[in-house]
Amino acid sequence: MIHLPKDETKLMVAIHGWSGILLGLVLYAVVITGMAAVFAEEIGAWSAGHVETRSAFQRPIDRSLRQLAARTPREFQDDVDIFEIGDHNLGVFFHRHEIAPNGELINRGVYYQLDREGRVADEQHGTGKEVFGPRNDDALSSFLVDTHVRLHVPDPWGLLLTGIMGLAMLTAALSGLLIHRHLFKDIFTLRRKASPVLVDRDRHSVAGTWSLPFAFVLAFTGSFFSFFGTVGVPIVAMAAFGGDQQAFSEAVFGHPGTPDPRSQPIGNLDRIAADAIGRTGAPPTFMTIEHFGRADSAVTTFHSPKSGDIEPVTLVYHGATATFDRTKPLIGSRPSAGGTLAAIMAPLHFGNFAGMLSKAVWFSLGFAMCYVTLTGIRLWLARRRERQRSLDWLERAVTVVGFGLPLALLVAAAAFLLSMPLGSAVFWTPAAFLAASGAAILAGIMVPTHALLARMLQISIGVLLMALPIVRLAGGGPGWPAAIAAGQPATMALDFAMLLGGTWTLWHMLAHRRRPGPTDDPALQYAE
Amino acid sequence: MARKWTRIGFAGPGAAIIALVIMAGMTLWVPRGTAGIDNLVLPLVLAPLIWAGLFFHACLDARLGRVAGVALGLLALHTALLAHQFLDRPSPATSASEAHE
Repeated sequence: MIHLPKDETKLMVAIHGWSGILLGLVLYAVVITGMAAVFAEEIGAWSAGHVETRSAFQRPIDRSLRQLAARTPREFQDDVDIFEIGDHNLGVFFHRHEIAPNGELINRGVYYQLDREGRVADEQHGTGKEVFGPRNDDALSSFLVDTHVRLHVPDPWGLLLTGIMGLAMLTAALSGLLIHRHLFKDIFTLRRKASPVLVDRDRHSVAGTWSLPFAFVLAFTGSFFSFFGTVGVPIVAMAAFGGDQQAFSEAVFGHPGTPDPRSQPIGNLDRIAADAIGRTGAPPTFMTIEHFGRADSAVTTFHSPKSGDIEPVTLVYHGATATFDRTKPLIGSRPSAGGTLAAIMAPLHFGNFAGMLSKAVWFSLGFAMCYVTLTGIRLWLARRRERQRSLDWLERAVTVVGFGLPLALLVAAAAFLLSMPLGSAVFWTPAAFLAASGAAILAGIMVPTHALLARMLQISIGVLLMALPIVRLAGGGPGWPAAIAAGQPATMALDFAMLLGGTWTLWHMLAHRRRPGPTDDPALQYAE
Repeated sequence: MARKWTRIGFAGPGAAIIALVIMAGMTLWVPRGTAGIDNLVLPLVLAPLIWAGLFFHACLDARLGRVAGVALGLLALHTALLAHQFLDRPSPATSASEAHE
């Protein structure tokens, strides 16, 4: 139980309310896309019809990499990043480090995208920011992730904006905790026969309290990621290295040792990949080669956390001889408190530390956060309505964003499924999202009653949820037997979840229509 | 009214600016740890919590003088540490001439 004096409690209620009102709708956009982005990998495979389950690192990569090195200008062969793209194909980025005029550390080089046979499907030259854009087969998952990470606002402003959203969420979570006079009682209090305002207040309170630790973790880790590169690293590098971000990067992520710039070819990468898989039981998620082609080259493989652990695994190999060097922490050369804390930020934010189970929990709690955000705004509005202050425009805005945003995301998914076979998904996915958002805003202005607007948007969501699996199959995506046979049950699971979600939404609307009384949606009921 | 705006100043822009200065200053006094990186990484990780601490302190402490004392004290301490670091650091020209000699 938390007992703040009356004035402080009133202040906390005001902070809780205003942080939600001023930033709640943008926060909702960040959280709902983050909730979907938890399954970005599965959504990517589902939407693009990927059926390959074997990692690119479980297939030979050494020969392809040597051929790429032979055609890459030497000036870009300082370091090499190797990772998976698309349907477990390989992406390879030969690059060098540069300091941009603004002092930012950037990578410039040549980015190759290989097909399944190891042939170059695409080659791009430029900085990391320039070459790592969305591709035709991952336009949907990229769109989701980019919306969550920076709301499509150019760097660094988008990251700063989502960082501020993280702080707003932190404020709302902590002030929400402080205004509970009876925390444990509130967790279990759902007065179903009370007045609608109290019913809504109870639902908001129960959902918010149960998801409070999660909200805190997400807000904390999210703001850390948003501010890390934009504000944090430049300031820390300024204080500790006189602004030299390269020196900061070397100190935190580099491998200490005596430089040996003698020329020496890289060892066998297939041997390294096989050894890494043998040691960790899982293929790398990422591989990087520092000082490529030198005697002191080092190959680092990054792996997901082992079962029952939360910290990712990182192995280091002597590049020239392809022999195992050591296991190292993700950050720093030796285990340390700071390194461990920083390393667990990503699994805590992405919820990927215990496979599908933790992802499902993170998704559910993300859904609860969306519910808490919207019901919180509606409670705030209800209180003002009781005082005869009309804020109809804000109520409409809440409905347009609350239902219009998921609707626009579903329209973007449909557009992706239709345009990907034509090779134009990179354009049509965001274009359809913008068109659907515009239509929802227009409906918010034109539709005469608020209840009708909410109903229209929800019916559209239900219909689209049910239609998406059919559109996917019609577009040539793999059927359920084929997906299961290929070891991709996520495809079937996502289809099933969408059909279930669509059926529930439509049933819910019909059941509510038959019920006498106010016609608003109980799931996001107005507290009136 | 002035007290209210002073409090808002400490909770709003004050908390953000002081949190950034503390983050920078922490690199100079946090122990480096076994890997030699704790002083670089911990300030980055803890920055959101430092901001939250300053924000809620500015909101909840009934004594405005104490709010100002804590915030300005932390600001002064870390600014002094940073100033000492920058004044102590040799300029690039000096370093180059020393290396030449």
